[in-house]
Amino acid sequence: MDPRVGLIRDFSRTFAEGTAKVETKDCGFPFLDRLLRGGVELEYGELTPLRLLHRYKLVHVSEARMIELLAAHVDKEWNVCRYFGPTANDVFCFNVDNNRKATSAAVVAEVEVTVRALEGYLREVECEPLVVASGRGYHVWCRLGAPVENARLYEFLLPMAARALATVTAFDHTHIKINLYPDVRLRNVVSLRLFGSLHAKTGVFSRVLGPDGLLDEAASWDRFADFVEKRAISTATFDAAYGSLASLRLLIERR
Amino acid sequence: MSATRARDAKVIAVDIDDTLNDFTATLRRTPFPYHARYRVPEARFHEYLVGIRDGAPEPSDLLSSEYLSLRFKIHEQCYRHAVARGDGIEFMQWLKSDDWRIVVCTRRDLRRVGDCTKEWLSAHRIPFDYLFSATNKIAFCRAWDIALLVDDEANSIEFGPKYGVRVFYPTLRQGIAPPSDARGFDAFDEVKRWIQESG
Repeated sequence: MDPRVGLIRDFSRTFAEGTAKVETKDCGFPFLDRLLRGGVELEYGELTPLRLLHRYKLVHVSEARMIELLAAHVDKEWNVCRYFGPTANDVFCFNVDNNRKATSAAVVAEVEVTVRALEGYLREVECEPLVVASGRGYHVWCRLGAPVENARLYEFLLPMAARALATVTAFDHTHIKINLYPDVRLRNVVSLRLFGSLHAKTGVFSRVLGPDGLLDEAASWDRFADFVEKRAISTATFDAAYGSLASLRLLIERR
Repeated sequence: MSATRARDAKVIAVDIDDTLNDFTATLRRTPFPYHARYRVPEARFHEYLVGIRDGAPEPSDLLSSEYLSLRFKIHEQCYRHAVARGDGIEFMQWLKSDDWRIVVCTRRDLRRVGDCTKEWLSAHRIPFDYLFSATNKIAFCRAWDIALLVDDEANSIEFGPKYGVRVFYPTLRQGIAPPSDARGFDAFDEVKRWIQESG
């Protein structure tokens, strides 16, 4: 097996079993026949307005077929997106995007400032993030040594996102959109592209953001490997990070 | 069963809202009392609701907004409560019994309303083989080599014939601007007859 597939499997070990979304320009019934091999079923398909890009939500994906899908993902045949586990996960993610139509294809200054602030706050509480370019923003991932219930993760994610947004005082915060994963309000509904994806519009590899800017593809894979193998946060560290946001959480609950 | 079909095989795409159901009428006639779960102040809720009933787009430059969030919640209720056309149900059942491959093709955000859409189709015994979301159904039909489309959207009616897609549309829809080679129908039986006549 390609070691990159192994890394992604390790990374996605708590994601929803047997479910994935494939994002590709390929379409048509012969293609669908090939995609649905091995008992895979299509829950629904989507034609996006982006250069005839198709998305296929697949269910009943066996482990063997998932490995095949991931092998095609790392070979850049398509992007695979995965759904977070329904009850607990050992990864979480802030999806920070530009929220304006006029500039939606670009990473605007508001997003850059917010992501850098978020990175800083996560490091303050010893959660080392992996920040991956997503097109009009970034995915800010953190990894845990053991799964944590989704409700507790969300109670950490929400005040942390609010803290980052509050930093962006020079801008209108409505220009930024932060989606939180896993989101306890949405189960098995929203997915995220896995590391190794190509940008939907440009076809450019989604690189990791380093201290001085975006890394190249090889360095991005190295950083991803380091993240998966060495950067998991212990339960004690997460609990402390969670506790550090108690007052902000209370403020949000009161509102 | 193989999904593979040639261009001239029996494959058809059919829209849902205002084609198989009365979505717009449901949106306009259904009372939507204010509730805190909408997460919008009551005065703004009523203001937004007027726009939603009229099909007004998001007024700002934002991709995600209070208005769009409320519109989704209202539309979702309409998806559940819209009344199915009896002749539409019979037409879909005829397609299935006549061995047509049926692609239900809708503008709905199936990420969020896929389950309720399937439940509605199932509750009304409307058969289908695949469920797809597309904002441009003519582009979808061309990409998938589907020659027949039943749809009420003005874009489909105007551009379908130009791009080689035969479009049948319910004439109940308001605001359609002919001329177009698409064919309007009052009853689904007409579509069935036209399909049969063209072999």
